[in-house]
Amino acid sequence: MVSIAPAPATERVLTVSDLSVEIRRGDRVVRPVSGVDLVLHRGETLGIVGETGSGKSMTGLAIMGMLPAGGRITGGSITFGDTELVGLPPARYRGLRGNDIAMVFQDSLTSLNPTRRIGDQVAEPVRLHEGLSRREARRRAEEMLALVGIPRPSERMDDHPHQLSGGMRQRVMIAMALVCQPKVVIADEPTTALDVTIQAEILDLLDDLRARLGMAMILVTHDMGVISRHADRVGVMYAGRLAETGPTPALFERTRHRYTQALLASIPSLTHDRGEELYSIGGAPPDLSVHDVGCGFAPRCAAATDRCRAEQPPLVADGAEPAHAFACWHPADGPVERTPARLAERPAAVDETSAAPRLRVVDLRREYPAGSDGWFGGRRTVKAVSGVSFDVAPGETFGLVGESGCGKSTLGRMLVALDRPTSGEVVFDGVAVSALRGRELGERRARLQMMFQDSSAALDPRMRIGAILREPLAIQGIGTRAERTARARDLLDDVGLPGSVLERFPHELSGGQRQRVGLARALALDPSVLVADEPVSALDVSIRSQVLNLMRRIQRERGLSSIVISHDLAVVRYLSDRVGVMYLGKLVESGAAEEVYAAPAHPYTAGLLAAVPGEEGPAEADRVPRIHGELPSPIDPPSGCRFRTRCPLATDLCAEVEPVLEPVSPTHQVACHFPLQTKEGAR
Amino acid sequence: MAWYVLRRLAVSVLVLLGISAVVFFLLHVVSDSPGRVVLGQRASPEAVADFNQRHGFDRPVVVQYVSYLGQLLQGDLGRSYKLNESVGTLLQQNAGRSAMLSLAGLVLALLVAIPLGVLQAVRRNSVVDRVATGLAYVLYATPAFLLGLVLIAVFSQQLDLFPAEASQSHSPWVVFTDPRSMALPVITIAATSIAIFSQYQRSSALDQLGQDYIRVARAKGLPERLVVTRHLLRNACLPVITLVGTMIPALLAGNLIVESLFNYSGLGLLFLNSLQREDYPVLLAYTLIGGVLTVVGNFVADIAVALADRRIELAS
Repeated sequence: MVSIAPAPATERVLTVSDLSVEIRRGDRVVRPVSGVDLVLHRGETLGIVGETGSGKSMTGLAIMGMLPAGGRITGGSITFGDTELVGLPPARYRGLRGNDIAMVFQDSLTSLNPTRRIGDQVAEPVRLHEGLSRREARRRAEEMLALVGIPRPSERMDDHPHQLSGGMRQRVMIAMALVCQPKVVIADEPTTALDVTIQAEILDLLDDLRARLGMAMILVTHDMGVISRHADRVGVMYAGRLAETGPTPALFERTRHRYTQALLASIPSLTHDRGEELYSIGGAPPDLSVHDVGCGFAPRCAAATDRCRAEQPPLVADGAEPAHAFACWHPADGPVERTPARLAERPAAVDETSAAPRLRVVDLRREYPAGSDGWFGGRRTVKAVSGVSFDVAPGETFGLVGESGCGKSTLGRMLVALDRPTSGEVVFDGVAVSALRGRELGERRARLQMMFQDSSAALDPRMRIGAILREPLAIQGIGTRAERTARARDLLDDVGLPGSVLERFPHELSGGQRQRVGLARALALDPSVLVADEPVSALDVSIRSQVLNLMRRIQRERGLSSIVISHDLAVVRYLSDRVGVMYLGKLVESGAAEEVYAAPAHPYTAGLLAAVPGEEGPAEADRVPRIHGELPSPIDPPSGCRFRTRCPLATDLCAEVEPVLEPVSPTHQVACHFPLQTKEGAR
Repeated sequence: MAWYVLRRLAVSVLVLLGISAVVFFLLHVVSDSPGRVVLGQRASPEAVADFNQRHGFDRPVVVQYVSYLGQLLQGDLGRSYKLNESVGTLLQQNAGRSAMLSLAGLVLALLVAIPLGVLQAVRRNSVVDRVATGLAYVLYATPAFLLGLVLIAVFSQQLDLFPAEASQSHSPWVVFTDPRSMALPVITIAATSIAIFSQYQRSSALDQLGQDYIRVARAKGLPERLVVTRHLLRNACLPVITLVGTMIPALLAGNLIVESLFNYSGLGLLFLNSLQREDYPVLLAYTLIGGVLTVVGNFVADIAVALADRRIELAS
């Protein structure tokens, strides 16, 4: 292995050298990890970053000795202190697991046992490893729950997991991993399922606990932003190998590997010039069951030569910074060389002040019945959307941002008439579609289309792509069968897929290809409004930029009015001309995208922007404290301003009078009694 | 919760009214006049007409149905003229015995099937798993009367371990007081259930094994045995609870085939005999009780699952 200079005066707690893993499933052998070297020192955070299938999670599981069925370590060693973990007898491994080496998994609804109380689940490792009595172990669990920031832990000890919010569940997961005070914690995508404000809190908590308990942490994530803010050193993985590793500042400032460089360039930032197309890496990561000899990134690399395809590059240290190493035959020296394509501006003829809006949303509300409250309790309603109004001009893209539960997806479904509002209306080209029924609705609805987040669930698994694309045309009675097939072929061409895809089934396509098909289907009836709900959330970074560029191009070419719904502020900014920020069923701020991002007037917007990891937020955001706490219940929202329970600036006025949207500039409105003094506002 | 219970109760009453009406009118259509059935083919038409008039069987069928409902509300299930006994008494004498036999079979089935299904899931595709699955298919496909006959032939006639006939005692507790004579009926009843439950338990346990909390439990350092008993078992049993709940009524109503095969007097045997005797009041009451048990069983199963799994909110 390559000697990477250790940080001075720190002890190594974990050393992984030349680790290789294979997984055998039937006749197929996949090699998810090949020759990986890692060193972890006491008290530091090592970030492992990579896309789906890069081997980052499998490396973590190998260290835990928890490879999936059919998986085994084929070479290399993992030493923890003086103990060699590869080949350790299972009983001794179990003694370390959860005790000296612990793992925090991604929050999912099932990462905690749904039928057991959280106190018992947190106490379990202590009872197991330290042999404490039930009472003692519960006391330790309660202390740990307090430490991870669960309010009133003694009352929560007997809760079941479904009674906690996602953020609270992730805190419980962390408490469970740390209750035995392990020396090494492996956090595998600990915040991926969480909202951005909660994510920031959880990552800060992990940093704080690591320092206080003197642990070493491996932070496994796909998010470069998280790495840049929370890792001391980074390992970038691609196709099962370590592509580049080094101290975080050095790696970000002087990126050497071509993959790292391209990956960083393809992430949309909050300050990206919207006129420029995003950099994107063509193609897709290699199939790890096919064992190529050369560099795994060569087929997608602009700098690749014959040597890259024939010979695996070794990990070599950078001359200037010996702790920084990379495996690339043609290391980069400077930023990505490219001339970004300029994107066409919106057609000048379209002027939202003069043209009639394509879509008008007027005081839209949607309420759902919720379960009753206890024995003989009254009926309650969830107020998902509570009075939202905005216009979208022809050819304009309106972005809706907000955290989960803010009502943005419910709103999106009403926009395309998949759901009926409780009150208010959606007016499309002068007709209130929300009131239409039957045939009329069917005809109008064809002009309003939706692109879904999870295209593997949104495409019928038993239909070929051709049938999926022809179906909307057939329903609307357009063309003969041959004409419809020709149209399907054109649609695939528009979204950059070959005609051969027509005969494929959805599961035969990659995630990026399926999302392109999802877009093609939405475009089949030549709609004038396209609602895209989290269009790229399920995609890896390198694929995401391809789809984002495609969407931008199609929006412009077809003069589509679109509504982009996302929790990802950078995605919304890249795609949208104007944005609206939603909180608990209300629009709290809206305006021209550049203006809202550069000078947020609502404390919530400012807090959201400040919570995005790895972004140098606008200067104003630094003065805004982080948003703490969790989204209140939409069944019984706070009086007055709905954000006041989490707002650092809230006063009595905010509890009594609900603020309405008022202009801070001709193209920017905010619903706040104390809007932030923005550049525009101060003028 | 309370609203849910009340609403379910109201619906249940409607369902039962529907069942009673359908059964009542159907029996009215298929049967001869009650007087003819009771007095026999040789009775004079006058005697039959007289009998029918005395017992109100000459009234319009709707009036008869309403008066039957009135009796039901007072707890009177009618009278078996063949056995000269009130139907209520007949059912009472046999219900306990049927219930005990079926419950014994159910408990035996669960005791075998739950561990077996979990074991199969944990050792998926092993020899144990394949053999158990194969056996389950064979058992499931075997009719109960055939299985009972095979058991009698082997264990009673060949090995002489157990008697071929069930105990003739009238006590409902005979399953416990005379286990030797009850072994074969109980095993016959359990066998088919074991086949269903174990396969159900296996697939449910496999589902749960794929859940993240199992991986989390392993990451705590728990040995596999504790991962299974502490984390997997309860979650994997939830679907089986529902299944058992829906089966309970059928169990209480007695097992027609096993009871007649082993000559064990219970509701099932009573029903079969009444069918041959054309004893319609008994048939009517039996069907009605079957309906009540089905409705109650589904109801209890829903509540039981909600109690075992706190995530389920019993709402609209």
